[in-house]
Amino acid sequence: MNPLQRLRARRREREEPLIDVETIPRRRLTIVLAIAVGLASLPMLITYILLILTSFSNTAGMLTISDLAHYVPTIQPWIDFLEGKVEPTAGHLYTTMEILGIILNTLIVAAGVSIVVVLTSTMAGYAFSRIRFRGRKALMQLVMILHAFPGVALIIAVYALYVWSLAALPPSAWNTYAFIYVILSRASLEIPMSIWLMKGFFDKIPWEVEWAAIVDGASRIRVWREIVLPLVKPGIAALSIFAFLAGWEDFIYVWVFLKPRDIYTLATFIEEQVRNLETAYFPVVAAAGTLYLIPTIIFFITTQHLLLETYAGGMKA
Amino acid sequence: MVEVRLENVTKKFGRVVALRDINLRFRDGKFTVVLGPSGSGKSTLLYLIAGIYKPTRGRIYFDDKDVTNLPPNKRNVGLVFQNYALYPHMTVYENIAFPLKLRKTPQRKIDEKVHEVAKLLHIEELLDRYPHQLSGGQQQRVALARALVKEPAVLLLDEPLSNLDALLRVKIRAELKKLQEQLGITAIYVTHDQAEAMALADEIIVIHRGVIQQKAPPKKIYEEPANLFVAGFIGNPPTNLLKARLVDGAIELGGSRITIPARLPRDGYIVVGFRPEHASVDAEPLENHASIPGEVYVVEDMGKEKILTIIIGGEMVKVIAPPTAEFKPGDKVYVNIPYRRIMLFDPETGARIEA
Repeated sequence: MNPLQRLRARRREREEPLIDVETIPRRRLTIVLAIAVGLASLPMLITYILLILTSFSNTAGMLTISDLAHYVPTIQPWIDFLEGKVEPTAGHLYTTMEILGIILNTLIVAAGVSIVVVLTSTMAGYAFSRIRFRGRKALMQLVMILHAFPGVALIIAVYALYVWSLAALPPSAWNTYAFIYVILSRASLEIPMSIWLMKGFFDKIPWEVEWAAIVDGASRIRVWREIVLPLVKPGIAALSIFAFLAGWEDFIYVWVFLKPRDIYTLATFIEEQVRNLETAYFPVVAAAGTLYLIPTIIFFITTQHLLLETYAGGMKA
Repeated sequence: MVEVRLENVTKKFGRVVALRDINLRFRDGKFTVVLGPSGSGKSTLLYLIAGIYKPTRGRIYFDDKDVTNLPPNKRNVGLVFQNYALYPHMTVYENIAFPLKLRKTPQRKIDEKVHEVAKLLHIEELLDRYPHQLSGGQQQRVALARALVKEPAVLLLDEPLSNLDALLRVKIRAELKKLQEQLGITAIYVTHDQAEAMALADEIIVIHRGVIQQKAPPKKIYEEPANLFVAGFIGNPPTNLLKARLVDGAIELGGSRITIPARLPRDGYIVVGFRPEHASVDAEPLENHASIPGEVYVVEDMGKEKILTIIIGGEMVKVIAPPTAEFKPGDKVYVNIPYRRIMLFDPETGARIEA
């Protein structure tokens, strides 16, 4: 091969890089998929963007794409929202304290659900993963079926139980009890799936790692705390976030148990405001809606990296 | 350093009997290898000594101390697992320091000891790394360091080399033997690899289906296997075992009659065994040898030797020949076995018949 031929050959190679046969269609597929997903999510994306823009505008209704031409940003709706001026023509319907109270209520329900779910499902998941007890398989299947039941279907029974148990308590404790009840019943909808998720994380830790620690001189509690828990940390983090969001987003349980007691969360508050479409002032409701979205956005950014973070080395299965 | 003793130990998992009435002594300061195929109960034996399993019956002693009901953390054993079982979220340093930390050893002493054992195993430069940043061989050394740092009474190793590639295995094998000699520690090593067992052991315990088959030094296991199982398990290629008929006190094999200077029953059946490396293949029968006619089937040239597969009366045997041997498939030959190298077994019980 003379130098000229070599040069030509090299150029040919550069123009048509050698690609493994099976990567060609896969790459094309990726592009097609990316376009399809992009197109499919475009309407939703536009809706969210309009929602956020509306919360910074002073239009009478919901902002539309045609309004964007003469869009003037303002933070007035946010101020109105935090001051409780949800219907500007009607003056202050809420005090700032009440608005903050609604946000706090939402946080209490979300955090409560998160704590209950994490505590129960890490323990139950560990038991399912490690202990071979009688009826283990049947119980695991039952847990899976429980997950399949929609929460709405259970609400009549849950409500009956609530009313029945309420009679046993003094009326002064009813508000607190309603909170606890919502947290427990909402958490129990999340727990089945969470148990399975945690079981999966525990299953990935070989028995030998625990044995090694016991032989090294650690007690079972210490092994659990210093070896097992750190290894399932990504799982616990993901779980607590999912459970938090479930509590944060819950509408039906909050609506059934808290709203009759005049306790609002962001979900029921927003629903209340848009119920009367004639009087609703959209920029303020949009501000509440945007606030409602924030945890979801934050948590999705954080979970992605958490779920990918796994320890793989040092324990071949 | 202690002597480990098992007395009448039986271990059942539900209805499955993993170990049946085991009586064993692991000598102080010696390297004992427990050898058996998978499912033989060898790992169960190790975990019983570690205290992870409790015997269904029987007692376990460390010297004169009864440890049967002692939990693992009170036994002071070092345990190395096949999958290393390092703590993935801790650095190499923290992994090795963990047993000492649990003993509330002062920090300065921990530091000193970790560096000492890291130096011994040549992993000093890896102390800051995490297990997933290490190669298999390095992870193995860290696991060994973690087991040794607490100066255990017994070092227990559960197939520690099986996850390594073949070259590394042979290299670390030699290092392990040297290390055990240096420290004079009582070591109990479980493996399914007979070559590993031969190379490492002061004493080999062959176990099969939860029952001890033979306990002897490697040389004796090789030369005087107690039964058919041990004969067939030790050696590569394994011992040739041929079932033969007895006719008037002579062995009828491959159409020829062999008379062996040994007292045998007048009739019935017997199993004849010989190692591939002890027989020779020649064009003619030899004096003082049992000579069996056969036909060459396959020739495998291994470089340092040739492995010949020969058909004798419908059965195949393997014989090691020197690299210079010139044979080709189809050659009519004689397999010549020195009389003193022939092993005889009872086909019913499997036990070896002493000549």
